[in-house]
Amino acid sequence: MKLINSLILALLFVVVFSGCTKKQSSEYGLKISETLRVSLDTEPPTLDWMKATDTTSSSIVYNIMEGMVAYNLNDPELSLKPALGLSWSASKDARVWTFKIRKGVQWSDGVELTAQHFIDAWQRLLTPKTASEYAYFMYGIKNAKAFNEGKIKDPKKLGLKINGAGDLIVTLEQPMSFFPYLLSHTSTFPARLDIINKFGDNWTDPKNIVTLGAFKLKIWDHDKAMVLERSPNYYGTPTKTKYVLGYIINEKSTVLNLFDAGKIDAIKDLPAIDLPHLRKKPEYHSHGILGIYYLGYNVKRAPFDNLKVRKAISMAIDRQEITKMLNAGHVPIKGWIPVGMFGFEKKLGVDFNIKTANRLLDEAGFKDRSKFPTIFYGFNTNENHQRIAENVQAQLKRNLNITVEIKNEEWKVYLSTLKSKPPHIFRLGWLADFPDPDNFLNMLTSTSDNNHTGWVNPEFDRQIINAAQTVDKKERKRLYKKAQKIIVETDLPVLPVYSMVEHLLVSKRVKNYPMNPMSNFIWKDVELVK
Amino acid sequence: MFKLFKDANQRQWIQWVIKFTGWSSFLILISSVVMSFIGYVVSPQLIIANIVFSIAFFITYTFQQHMTVYVIKRVFGAFITLLVIATITFTLLRLLPGGPFDQDKALPPEVIANIEAKYHLDKPVLVQYWHYLSGIAQGDLGDSYKYIGRSVTDIISETLPNTLQLGIYALLICYLFGIPAGVFAASKHNSWADNTIMTIAISGVTLPSFLVAAILILIFSVQLNWLPPALWDGPEYYIMPMLVLGIRPAAIIARLTRASVLEVINSDYIRTARSKGLPERVILFKHVLKNSLIPVLTFSGPLVSGVLTGSFITELIFAVPGMGKHLIQSVTNRDYPLILGLTLLFSAVLVLTNLLVDLLYSFFDPRIKLS
Repeated sequence: MKLINSLILALLFVVVFSGCTKKQSSEYGLKISETLRVSLDTEPPTLDWMKATDTTSSSIVYNIMEGMVAYNLNDPELSLKPALGLSWSASKDARVWTFKIRKGVQWSDGVELTAQHFIDAWQRLLTPKTASEYAYFMYGIKNAKAFNEGKIKDPKKLGLKINGAGDLIVTLEQPMSFFPYLLSHTSTFPARLDIINKFGDNWTDPKNIVTLGAFKLKIWDHDKAMVLERSPNYYGTPTKTKYVLGYIINEKSTVLNLFDAGKIDAIKDLPAIDLPHLRKKPEYHSHGILGIYYLGYNVKRAPFDNLKVRKAISMAIDRQEITKMLNAGHVPIKGWIPVGMFGFEKKLGVDFNIKTANRLLDEAGFKDRSKFPTIFYGFNTNENHQRIAENVQAQLKRNLNITVEIKNEEWKVYLSTLKSKPPHIFRLGWLADFPDPDNFLNMLTSTSDNNHTGWVNPEFDRQIINAAQTVDKKERKRLYKKAQKIIVETDLPVLPVYSMVEHLLVSKRVKNYPMNPMSNFIWKDVELVK
Repeated sequence: MFKLFKDANQRQWIQWVIKFTGWSSFLILISSVVMSFIGYVVSPQLIIANIVFSIAFFITYTFQQHMTVYVIKRVFGAFITLLVIATITFTLLRLLPGGPFDQDKALPPEVIANIEAKYHLDKPVLVQYWHYLSGIAQGDLGDSYKYIGRSVTDIISETLPNTLQLGIYALLICYLFGIPAGVFAASKHNSWADNTIMTIAISGVTLPSFLVAAILILIFSVQLNWLPPALWDGPEYYIMPMLVLGIRPAAIIARLTRASVLEVINSDYIRTARSKGLPERVILFKHVLKNSLIPVLTFSGPLVSGVLTGSFITELIFAVPGMGKHLIQSVTNRDYPLILGLTLLFSAVLVLTNLLVDLLYSFFDPRIKLS
C-alpha cells in the first residue's frame, strides 16, 4: 500500500510539473538598453481609435498611428505640419477642403494607404451602430450629424469624396477655418475596414491590429503591460528606440518607487504632494500644457443671477494665492485661453480688487452682509480640489465677509449634479482636444452641453461662429479676444483660475523625451544613452 | 445509493476514494502553489483536474457523512441567494446617480442615444433586467462599458488567476504562521513568549495594510534593496504583497487559536491524555489542536473568500494585475456589467467557502452533524 501511495504521489508531482510552463518575465525578454520603460496610468480601455476617448489609449494610439496632420512642436503656437496628408488647401470660404495623401505610406501588413481609408474611418466613426463618443468631432462634415442621428442612412451622402488624383475632398456643413486641426485627433485617424470586419471587437489584439505609425503593437498583457516595437514599414525616420514597454500601474507612489528602483524611465502627472522634494531631483522637468482650471457660476440661481454679485465674487478671489498655495507651478490667468496657445490674452479679465468687490456687493443690495445667502461651492472629491475650495471659502469670508459652504461629491455624482442642479459655484477643468481657441470657447456657447452655467449670450455665440468661419488669422484673434472679453469681463459666467503645468521625471538615460503643450507623448525620437 | 455504506467492502472503497481525491487535490494544490511561486504558470488543465478532485472529494465525503440532502438544500439556497444579490445590485446601480457615460467633456444627446442603444440602456429597466438574467443563465456576464470589446468574463479570467495566486500565498502565511503561533503562545501561557507573540499579533491586527506595505517597501526595497518595490513577476515580487495581505488575518488566527487552545487544554480529556503519559507535543497537535480549530474554521469562511477575491489596497500598491482594482474602479466608472459580474463572483465564492467550512466542521469535530 505504501508503495502504491508513493507511486501516486510521484505521479502527481510529475503531472503538476509537466502541467507548468515557465512564466514570461515582466520585461518580456526585451533588452533594457533598447527599451524605453514608461508607466501607463490605467489599462487602456481600447485601442480602437475611433472609440477611444481617454488619454492612456490616445497616448498609445499616437505612437502606433498617425493622422492627416500633426503638430509642429517647434512652433510655440503649435501650427500644423504634414503627416499622412502631404498638403491641404481650402476653398475661399473654408467650406471645401482638399487633402493630398502622402504616397508610398504602407500599413504594417504592407497595404498602401489611400484616401479611402480616411473615408472608411470617418464613416465608421459616424455610423450610429459604432456608438463612438467622439462622433460629434466630425459633425462639421456635410450631413454628418444627420447620419450619426440615423436620419440619413446612406454614407455616400456625407461630404466626403475622392478626386481623380486620389485626393480627399471634404465638404463641410458650414465654413470652418480650423478643420485641419481636428484631423490631428486620434478619432479621425484612417482605418482598415477589412481588418475590422474580419476580426470584430478583437481587431485591436496584437496579432490582428494593422497600423501605420512609427511603432507597432507587439504585446498587450491586459492589466499588466504593453510593448510597442519599431515598425519596419514606417514611412518616416525609424524610431531611435527599438521598444517601448508601458507598465500599467494605477498608483502614482508605486510608479515613483519603481522609478527610484530604476525600473521605469519616465513618469508624468507627478502627485502634487510629492512635488516639493521631487523638484530637487535632477530628473525633474515641467512645462505648460493647454489646459485651464476654472470656476463656473450658476447664473440661474440667486444671487448669481446678479451680474454685480458675479463680478464682486470674481474680484474677491486672488488667483495668485491659490496657485501659491498649490505650489505646483500653475500660472494664474484672467483670460479663458491657456498660456502659450493662439488667442491667449494676458490683459483681459477682472483683477483682484477687494475694495471694488465690496462696493459692487453693496450696490447689488447686500450692504448688510447678513442678508447675503449662504452660497454653495461644489467640487468632485479630490485632495487638490478640496484645497482650492477651502481657499476660496476662506478668501470670500475674509474679503467679502460672506459664507460659502463647500460640498464634495464622487465624480459621476458630481457630473450628474452639474447636469441637474449646479451649485452656485462649481469647479471644472478643460484640456485642449486640439490647439485652437474654438475648442475652449465653443464650450460656453448656448448650444454646448459643457456649459453648466446656464448663461446664454447670442452675441457671444455669434462671435464664435464668425471666428470659426474666418480664415484670416489676425481677424480670428481679434474675434476671439472680443468673445473672451464677454465671458471674463462683461458677463462673467466663469472665473478662469490657472493655466496648467505638467510635471515629469525622466531618467538620465533618456534623451529627447517628448514634452509639449498638448501632452502628447510620441516616443519615436526618444534616444537611450548607454 | 445509501446501500453502498452497508457493505463493508464498499465502505472501504468509499473511504479510499475520499482519501485519494482529498490527498490528490491537496497535493496538487500545494505543488501548484510551489510551482507558481518559483515562477511557473500552472496550466488550466491542472487547475481543472484539481477542481474535479476537490468536487469528487466533497461529493463522496458528503455521501459518506449522510449529508447529501443538506448539501443539495444549501446549493439550492445558494442559487436563490445569488439571484437576490444580482437583483439588488442591478436595482441599486440603476438608482445610483451618474451614468456610465457621464464625463467631464459632455456628450451631445444624439451620441449618448447611440451608445445607450448599443448597450440596450434605452430599453425599459425590466427588459434590461430580463436581458441580464437570461445572459447569466447562458454564462454570459455581458461586455464591459469601460473596456470596449472586452467581456466581463475576459476581464475576470485574465485578472482572477493573479488575485487567486496572491490570495493563496497570503492564506498560506495565515495558516502556516497563525496556527502554530497561537498553539505555541497557548502552550507557554502567560510567559514572555506568549506576551511577545500576542503583542506582535495585536500589532498585526491593528496596523493598516497600506502602512505595513509602506514600511516593508521602505526597509526591503529602499534601504536594503533586496526586493523590488512592485510588479508581479516571480518569488522576489510575491513576498511583500503576500506578507501585507497575510499578516492581519494571520494575527487574528493566532489570537483565535490561542484562545481556543487555552479552553481545550484545560478540559478533562486532555488531563486524561496527560495522565496516560503522552508526550506534550502529541497532546498539543493530536488532541488539542484538532478540537481547537472550530473558531478558526468559522473565521476562515469570510477570510478565504475575502483574500481570494482580492485586496484593492495590496494590488494597487504592488501593481499586482489582479481583480481587486476592478472591484473599486468598476463602481467609479459605473461599468454596470463589470460591477454585477464581480459582485456575483464575490458572492458565489463567499457562499461556496461558507458551505465548505460547514462541511469541514463535521470533519474536525465528528460530534457536529449537519442535516
